[in-house]
Amino acid sequence: MTKKFLKKFIVFATLIMTVFAISGCGTKTEPAAENKPVKIVFWYAVGGKVGEATKTLVDEFNASHPDIQVEAVFQGDYDSAINKLKQSIPSKGTPNVMQVYDIGTRFMIDSKAVVPVQKWIDQEKFDMSTYEPNILAYYTVDNKLYSMPFNTSTPILYYNKTMFKEAGLDPETPPKTFEDVTTAAQKLTSRDANGTVTRPGLSMAIYGWFFEQFLAEQNAPYTNNGNGRDSLTTAVSFNSPQGEKTLTWWSGMVKEGTASNMGRKTADTLKAFIAGQTAMTIDSTGNLGDIMDGVNGKFDVGTGFMPHPADAKDGGVIIGGASLWMLAGHSDPEEKASWEFIKFMTAAKQQAFWHIKTGYFPVTKAAYDDPDLKKYEEKYPQFKVAIEQLHNTPINRNTQGGLLGVFTQSRQEIESAIEQVLNGQSTPHDALQKAADTVNGAIERYNQTTK
Amino acid sequence: MKNLVRYFFLTIAAFFILAPFLYAATVSFETAAEAATFPPQFIPSSFYTDSYRKAIATAPIFHFILNSFIVALLVTVGQVVTCSLAAFAFAFLEFPYKKLLFALFLSTMMIPWESTIIPNYFTIRSLEWLDTYQGLAVPFFASAFGTFLLRQYFQTLPREIFEAARMDGCGHFRFFITMVLPLSRPALATLAVYAFLTTYNQYLWPLLITNTDNMRTVQIGLAMLQWDQGISWNTTMAGIVLVSLPTVLLLLLGQKQLVRGLTAGSTKG
Repeated sequence: MTKKFLKKFIVFATLIMTVFAISGCGTKTEPAAENKPVKIVFWYAVGGKVGEATKTLVDEFNASHPDIQVEAVFQGDYDSAINKLKQSIPSKGTPNVMQVYDIGTRFMIDSKAVVPVQKWIDQEKFDMSTYEPNILAYYTVDNKLYSMPFNTSTPILYYNKTMFKEAGLDPETPPKTFEDVTTAAQKLTSRDANGTVTRPGLSMAIYGWFFEQFLAEQNAPYTNNGNGRDSLTTAVSFNSPQGEKTLTWWSGMVKEGTASNMGRKTADTLKAFIAGQTAMTIDSTGNLGDIMDGVNGKFDVGTGFMPHPADAKDGGVIIGGASLWMLAGHSDPEEKASWEFIKFMTAAKQQAFWHIKTGYFPVTKAAYDDPDLKKYEEKYPQFKVAIEQLHNTPINRNTQGGLLGVFTQSRQEIESAIEQVLNGQSTPHDALQKAADTVNGAIERYNQTTK
Repeated sequence: MKNLVRYFFLTIAAFFILAPFLYAATVSFETAAEAATFPPQFIPSSFYTDSYRKAIATAPIFHFILNSFIVALLVTVGQVVTCSLAAFAFAFLEFPYKKLLFALFLSTMMIPWESTIIPNYFTIRSLEWLDTYQGLAVPFFASAFGTFLLRQYFQTLPREIFEAARMDGCGHFRFFITMVLPLSRPALATLAVYAFLTTYNQYLWPLLITNTDNMRTVQIGLAMLQWDQGISWNTTMAGIVLVSLPTVLLLLLGQKQLVRGLTAGSTKG
């Protein structure tokens, strides 16, 4: 009996040893590659001038780091890129570093294919004190910073100062509350002799991101369980009085004709604002440069905080944009190189360049000391409002933003709900309830598959 | 006089068809501010070529055009060869379960390409064809639609030719090459144009299986000119004009051939 057992044990032990020997105990000692640079792959998902700026930064990094070679690969827009990542996880073809949009955060954590950057921050005792706390808060889950914020924006109110003057409004005080916006929009709307609206006061794209902001402005959560940050989201909570209030306000203006519904694309409302087809619009800070270039001095552009209901307290904006994620399953030297790259991309000098070129926030406050950035701020004083808005936002569960594995779908459902309400096909309550039911079903399925 | 009226109406019709392209071309020569004005400006105030410079700097468009061209050409040749051979079998040969097989063949048209994209990706990956021309082209070499199109056309060819040829001792392959193909020029041209354009405009597949700028194709190049929060229309339009030029050139050069093929078929057929 014991002999038999011993025999079995020996066979088993040798088997295990062989497996370990083959796999090299997990930590392969890399041959000392001193003159060969470490190659890492970086996937990014922005084009146009933002893509340009990304490539410039990568080139700078490669030039200044002879021991690391970063290969930057464009992977379509954020959605395409994350879909491509989904393919590459099972086939072990993941990049070292990847740019993922804000609402992909929960999915990335659940994919279990990532290395939280916190690991390297702790290991190196890297000083994060200059980084913007409001921005870090978004990407901090379970007290761990999962990804390094990279391109960050918030929406702001853009308004046409010249039209404000013509309408008898003070061009230096933008409307602050829902009620202010409503009255300002009424004064700014022009009609022809028959009463048909020729120019609405406000034009706001049907964009789920804006709705999320209006909830945060009222200090209301998007999902349950502390916006999915105390524990995993099991249901959405946007079908709340605050959600209804937002849609009632918005659809009220559309019904009056003082706000126009131009569909889901912010590119369209932006164009309308530049062309003087609307007096106010809401858009990302990232578009300030385009707006200023497009307006080109034809009128004065003013910026203001995102509006909120007069009785709302302790609210603020949620940051949007994307962050840099480290993917797991790569060798230690590669991971180290990825960390160096991430540090470089978010350092003061690079973020100052990034801010000037793209209009995204610098993620580190140290960037504001940069002389070029100071010059840029003088040229576009409008951006100050965006920074103030960010710094005025108290950090709490609601302004940290919701975490949801099926956020992309949820955004689409919200957008259909808004569309139906603005078209008068549904009431705010019914539309939000319907959206919540659909999304809750999706959450249930998602949570089952990730457990 | 009659011709004059005809040309007049044809010009108007052509204008309507070309309007989107003309507008794209106009916008590509406008500055960012001009492109954003309302009402839209149909004539650029100056010949502004900076958007082209910017488009080329942002995305290696010429390289992408070359890649798309190579892949589209490969697919076109591949589809014409496989589809015409399969269609020949379905149209002229007799074999058991022919009808059933053809129905089965056609039923594959019902399977959306998106649902096969993952298995295809894994096949290409295990063949180590990622980032290669064959990876981009080979999955599209066979087409149920193309086979259907050609079979229908082959069936309109008089059966007597087939019988006469057999009588004179002409083999299947010789008959296929010397009789069927020359007589089917219009159908083959239609398939070729269709296959070329579809492949030239592919987005998802090339994005999925390529990872280097060296192997990417034009639609990805156009995506490179945009980002989530904004589009500079003049640069994007410049990219679109550049990308569509080769297909327009191809049409102009091949027009005679295409028209001859079409008319030859119609008089004889």
